[in-house]
This record gives sequence, structure tokens and C-alpha cells, in this order.
Amino acid sequence: MGARYLTRRLLSAVATIAMIVLINFVLFRAMPGSPERMLLGRLPGVTQEVLEGTRERWGLDKPLFPDQFVAYIGATLQGDLGFSYTEAGSTVTEVLLSRLGPTLLLFGLGELVAIALGLALGAYSGWKRGGLVDHVGNAISLFLYSTPYFLLGMALLVTFATALGWFPTFGMVTPGRQYTDVLDHFGDIARHLALPLATVSLGLIGQYAILMRSSILDTLTEDYVTTARAKGLPEGRILRSHALPNALLPTVSLVAINIGYVVAGAITVEVVFNWPGLGTLTVEALSARDYPVLQGVFLLLSVTVVLANLAADLIYGVLDPRVRT
Amino acid sequence: MTAPVMPLASETGPRRVTVRFDLLRALVRRPSGLIGILILLVFSVLALVPDFFVGELETAVTATGPRLGAPSAEFPLGTDELGRSMLNLTVHATRISMVIGLLATVITVAVGAGLGIVSGYIGGRFDYVAMRIADFFLVMPTFVLALILTSLIRDVLGTGSKEIAGIRLSLLVIVVVIGITSWSSTARIIRSQTLSLRERAFVDRARVIGASSGHIMRRHILPNVMNLIIANTVLTFAGAVLTETTLSFIGLGDPFQPSWGQVLEAARGVGALQLGKWWYFVPPGASVVLVVFAFTLLGNALDDVLNPRRLAAR
Repeated sequence: MGARYLTRRLLSAVATIAMIVLINFVLFRAMPGSPERMLLGRLPGVTQEVLEGTRERWGLDKPLFPDQFVAYIGATLQGDLGFSYTEAGSTVTEVLLSRLGPTLLLFGLGELVAIALGLALGAYSGWKRGGLVDHVGNAISLFLYSTPYFLLGMALLVTFATALGWFPTFGMVTPGRQYTDVLDHFGDIARHLALPLATVSLGLIGQYAILMRSSILDTLTEDYVTTARAKGLPEGRILRSHALPNALLPTVSLVAINIGYVVAGAITVEVVFNWPGLGTLTVEALSARDYPVLQGVFLLLSVTVVLANLAADLIYGVLDPRVRT
Repeated sequence: MTAPVMPLASETGPRRVTVRFDLLRALVRRPSGLIGILILLVFSVLALVPDFFVGELETAVTATGPRLGAPSAEFPLGTDELGRSMLNLTVHATRISMVIGLLATVITVAVGAGLGIVSGYIGGRFDYVAMRIADFFLVMPTFVLALILTSLIRDVLGTGSKEIAGIRLSLLVIVVVIGITSWSSTARIIRSQTLSLRERAFVDRARVIGASSGHIMRRHILPNVMNLIIANTVLTFAGAVLTETTLSFIGLGDPFQPSWGQVLEAARGVGALQLGKWWYFVPPGASVVLVVFAFTLLGNALDDVLNPRRLAAR
């Protein structure tokens, strides 16, 4: 991979993150109320010394720009995002970290399932264009594509949890339950995870299948596929070694770009199932006007998305020599 | 795409109209286009005259039904926790959802197309800065920014019960925020088309006879990117309806002017899901899916009709 390609991608990622921090700073100062109260939240037992220490630390007695901005960047880089309003005494970073695990579990697994199934479905229906799987799959993909995640979640919840009683209706674990061993604990989480996971995967499968299908269709008219046919290779071999590797390329960037959109879905799916992750945290913070936590969520999610895009660009560069310019 | 002939000023008006009728006819001939248009027609009529079909929006005071009553002869779609008819609520929510979607789409497309044309035609430093900003909005999770901006702007403005043209200020904030956060892909698409149009002979000719940049952009570039703008508007509308629904669902709706997302949020709030009261969320949920589905079908049909590459492949 060329050094120029690498530098350009890195620089653009750094610039994007800088812009996110700038937006966060501007939002932070646009908020009603004094900034020091904002930073301390409802921290119990705030004395005059603590208040002055905060003013000092964040440069609140100095001009807004550049002093306060520089202080803000410094604090952000050290992971100091202020205190939560609602969870008195906890820093925003602590609150975020406590909710990160469930979200990673739900969406990490959801992405994996959706990538595997969505790409397989798309590749198969594109290859057998006009067949039964293609027609049915296309209709289902289009339908899933137009359904917001949370509606899908509500439908699954009311059918499989409320009506049939196969799965619990909310949370990640049964409240107050004593576990006999680790396996028992895992089993409980898995039962709670099943429906939200199905929601996330189904929501994503539609998009991945649609993209993979059109990607496969594009490769079918390429010269190298015609050549492979002319050589007399069997169909399965053409698909596996000629069409698939090339058709997979665009999906790499789609998966990364998607993470940004998945975020909106993440928030709502967690709300439907009361899954204790970053999504429910966002909604709790929103209704309590807990702005420091909201900003923390925004910063964390945007930086994650930027890094995912950077990773996708780099992987793309390794896979496809044509873009390394 | 229309032929790259230099349109005379007197010619552009009537010619554009005939092109649009052709477009409509071509769309209706495709099953996906026809179904999409029919669904949208039904919802548009409901949104235009909700009072004609179900009377005024019921309130806790005027509601007559039982609490969370199942569908019956009197209340075909059941009632909510205040005893309001779900049919009444859903039809009125159609109006709010469609109006917010439409206004947000107008802002998004106007900003995106305007910026795309100017940026592509002028080029240079303006283009560079505008496109870096567009890229930024494309990459980051705009939904999270939208929800922070919405609640922040409302806190700063202190939107109580203020209304502008019959729409509550709190909802107009959502309209503006959706516009701010979703113009970038439109701008990108229109700009790249403008870049190729700029090099065509008819633009050169116009420049040589002394036409100003503004005139060229309005009279020569805009008519030629119109098809692209129309196709983009359809997809933007679907996205705007989805964003509004999602924002309302996480608690940013307005109970006094409920949209579909607001009704869904209320359903979740009273535990309709755990109680199995499906009639509380199926009507608004099905409406959202149908409308977005219709826009997607229409978008696909438009793409088939307008995209010359696809036509050739058929």
C-alpha cells in the first residue's frame, strides 16, 4: 500500500475527529446554564474550592477561544468528559463504560450474523437471478429495508415474548435471580439476547442482501467471468473463485458506512427490549436532559464510526490495488 | 437524461412539463411504480383532509371509548389508554408525519441541490470546503447529532405552545434539524452531475455569448439535473419520515400534535407490548412501513426509468 494513500486516509480521519470535538465544544457552550454547573452536574458536596478548581481546570475565567477550547481538547483527550447529571457523582466516562458491554455484545453478534446470512442470500439470489429464492428474497429484503428496527423489534416482542411466552419481554437478565453456575448465567443472558439479536440481524440482512445481489450482477457481465465460462469451468467454481471475491469488495465499505446508520437502530432496538446498553442510556439521558452524557455518547459513537471507516478504507486498499492512489 | 441541446429561454417552460408527463406515464406502466404511487395517493388524501374521514383529533376530554379497548364495531382499530379511537389518532398522525416529512425533504433537497450545483459549477476553494463539510456529515452518525440538536434547540428557544402556520414550534425544530443533518448525499450526487455538465458544449456556448454564472446555473445546469433531483427527493422523503418516526419514538415527539412515531412511543410507554395490546401500535407501525415501502418502490421505478445505463442493460 502506498504511503500517500495511507497518509491521506489518516489525515482525513484525524480532521473528522477534530471537527467532532469542535462541534461538541460549541454545543457545550451553547447550552443554557453556567458551564461549571454543567461540568459538575449534581455532584454532592461541591465547595467553593471545587468550583474554583473546575474553573481553573477548564480555563473558564479565560477567553472562550483559544484558551477554553484548548483546555477542552486536553480534557477530552484524557477521557475527562465531566459528570453525569442523573447518576450523581459518576463521571461520564464511568457511565459510558458501564453501558458499553451490552451494546457491543448485541451489535457485534448482530453484525456477524447479518453479514454471513445477508451476503450468502444476496450472492445466491444474484447468481440464480429470476429464480424463486431471488423473487422471494428480494421482496423480503425490500420489506425489511423499509421497516425501522424498532417496529421489527416490537413485532417480534409481541409475538414471541408476550403471546407465545418463549422469551422474556425485557432486560438482559432476570431480576433477582440466583444462578447455580456460570452456564446458568449465560443461559439466562442468551434467552434475553435472542429477540434483540434477531431484530438487529434481520434489520441488517435486507441491506446487505440487496447490495450483494447487485454487486454479483455487476460482476456477471465482466470479461473475466465470460473468460472463465469459455474455459469451461463449472458454475460453482466460477462463482467461488471469480465472481465472489470481486463482488465482495463493495460490501467492505458498506459494512463500515453502515455502522453510522446502525447507531440509530441500536438506540431504538435497545429501548424496545430495555436492553441495558448505550441506546437506553441515550434515551434516559435525553429525557433527563443529561447533556454531558449525551455529548459523551455522541463523541464515543462518532469516533467509533470514523475509525471503522478508516479501517474499511485500509482493508479496501489491501484488497483492491486499483484504489491505492 | 434530457438531450444536451441548448434550451432557448422560451422553450424551457413547456418542454419541461411534457417531459414530466412522460415520466409519470413511464412510472405508472411499471408495477412497482404504480403500487408506490397508489399507496402514496391514499396517504396524501388522508393527510390533506383528516377531519373529513374521522372528525377532529380526539383529546382526553372528548374521547368516548373504553381504556385500551380491543377493536370493535364502534372503534374499528380499538382505543388507546385515554379511550381515544386509534383510527382517529392514526389518521391525524398521518397528517403530522407526512407534513414534517415533506417540509424536511424540501429543506434537504433545496440545500443539497443548491449547494451541489454551485459547488460543482464554481469549483475552487468554495467547492473544496463545501465538500469536506459534506463528507463529514456523510461519515458521522447524524442521528445522534440530530437528537442532541433537537433537544438543545428546544431548550434554548423555550418552545412552549408556540405555533407557526398551525405547526407547533417543537415539530419545526425537528424539520430544521433533519434538514441540517441530511443534505450531504444530495449535494454530493448533484455536484458530480454538475461537474460533467459544466464541460459540455452548450454550457460553453452560453458562456461565450456572455451569460452570467447565475443564469447558466439556473437555465442550463438546473434543468439538466432535474431528473436526478426528483429521484433523490423520493428517497429523501422516505429517509425523512423514518428519521422523524425514530426521533419521536425515543421521546422527541409532541403529544399535542402526535405523529406515527409519537403514537408508537405512547404505546411503548403504557406497556402495550407487554400487555399484548397489538392494536395500539399496529396501525401507526403499518402506516410507517407502507409509506416508506411505497417511496422505496417508487425510487426503484424512477431509477429504472431515468437511468440510461439500466435501460441499455435490459
